[in-house]
Amino acid sequence: MTRPGLARTLALGLLTAAALGAIGPLYLLAKVSLSPPAEVMTAHPTLLPHGLTLDHWRRLLASGQVAAPLAKSLTAASLVALAALALAAPAAYSLSRLPARWRYGILLGLFACRMLPEVSIALPVAVIFLRWGLLDTVTGLVLSHLTLVLPVAAWVLTTTFLTIPRELEEAAALDGCSAWQTLWRVTLRLAVPGLVVAGLLAWLFSWEEFVLATYLTLGAKTMPLQVYYYLYQGNWFLTSVSATLMMVPVLGLTGLLQRHLQGTSLVGAIR
Amino acid sequence: MRTRHLIGLVPIALYLSAYTLAPVLSTFWLSVTGSAGGLTLEHFRQIGGHYQFGEAVLNTLGITGLSLALELGVGLAAALALATRPRGRAAFQVLLLIPLGVPTIVAAAVMRTIFGTVGYLNEVLFRLRLIEIPVDWVGDRLLALGAVAAADAWKVTPLVLLILLAGLEAIPADLYEAARTDGASRWRQFTAITLPLLKPALSMAVIVRGVDAFRIFALPLALAGHGLPVLSTYAYTEYLEYGNPHTAAASSVVLLVMILVAVGVYLRLAGPEEVLR
Repeated sequence: MTRPGLARTLALGLLTAAALGAIGPLYLLAKVSLSPPAEVMTAHPTLLPHGLTLDHWRRLLASGQVAAPLAKSLTAASLVALAALALAAPAAYSLSRLPARWRYGILLGLFACRMLPEVSIALPVAVIFLRWGLLDTVTGLVLSHLTLVLPVAAWVLTTTFLTIPRELEEAAALDGCSAWQTLWRVTLRLAVPGLVVAGLLAWLFSWEEFVLATYLTLGAKTMPLQVYYYLYQGNWFLTSVSATLMMVPVLGLTGLLQRHLQGTSLVGAIR
Repeated sequence: MRTRHLIGLVPIALYLSAYTLAPVLSTFWLSVTGSAGGLTLEHFRQIGGHYQFGEAVLNTLGITGLSLALELGVGLAAALALATRPRGRAAFQVLLLIPLGVPTIVAAAVMRTIFGTVGYLNEVLFRLRLIEIPVDWVGDRLLALGAVAAADAWKVTPLVLLILLAGLEAIPADLYEAARTDGASRWRQFTAITLPLLKPALSMAVIVRGVDAFRIFALPLALAGHGLPVLSTYAYTEYLEYGNPHTAAASSVVLLVMILVAVGVYLRLAGPEEVLR
């Protein structure tokens, strides 16, 4: 075998192993959620599915414990996505029109906010929300989740606005559009792919968020907290079923994201 | 002109001041005020004398070191393999990126089925005749650190891979051509071209992932519970189980300072110009 051939074989072998490592655990999760207990709760669990059962799924749905967390997480994630766009889009538009040095400094500052430990943010927020009656509410959850989401949304949208040629706005102005019409009819229309990406990312962040939700919840759990509840109880089947359920929107939305997201498109904002 | 362009930043600035900066300052304040008022360091002294706190500091550092090593090693190997443009590269890339989207709590659930005493890792090792009796992965501290680091690496190595792959692709191909013409070996090309030019991407990966690893919360909590405290879960336990916001705040401040010091030291060692480009 020639040397480039050897390198190629090595690369293929490594990638195959890595891909198996990436997918294997998810396969096991789905398998447990569909396996009869005899295949799982034994000293020697089987790796391949032998019998399939929907019992665990039925039991989760019949327990009546999952509808409320599901609704709460879906509502919160959707509101977080919308609020993130409403707050980050104007900021990103401003950033895209500022001199590069300013833009770079402000984006770095936003990212510094993301380096703060969640527990140092969650503690005072939980203390204050307790006083304001916002614990257990969707409003409280949305207000706190935005902290994590805004820097990312602002970054994605700044890149988006930077790629929209300013000549287009100038042309619209020459054609008699007011500043607002230009913004609404030209700039925002062209920014739709970026808005979709930022919104999806914000949705996914909120959907899986665990730390802030833990601090801000007394009784009305979100989906991640419900999964943790089953995990803490040691119920493998309800854990796997509820965790698999959480994966459904994730797989759908990341599929959408991959179509919209070009890896390189995120780099431009800081140049 | 310029001031008009700053208007769009007002809402986000107000929001972040209220819900990010004010809470962090308030955490600082909580950590240095006594229960009866007045400034004090008693909360830091209190957690300093707490056995679990020392454990939490060590565990946090251990998990961060282990998971960074795993993520950079595997991420770099996979990025180099993808950069050779093998057959099926697009499919590999899609498959390898999947864990990145997996919610952390789902990753924890997955890892519980793998690292449990009657879990799948033990079964695989048993079938390979590597072990006879099941290993209690989260019972032993070092093994538990490894399990949590592996769980973390499973979820986020794709991010490291993305950063490093972007770095690799940005290295001009004619550098390698010139090196080949000069008769440089593959290894020499790797150490003389790839590694130095990849340094900014590596630094980016170290900082982004290192900061996240310091703050790790759900994975140790879900995999090992109170058996493996880290700084985040220590703060959580102090507040939500013992109802002491002051010691919770003090340990959060320690975590924050550790992150700042680590980033500062790294920038000093690696040279800030390597990262801030």
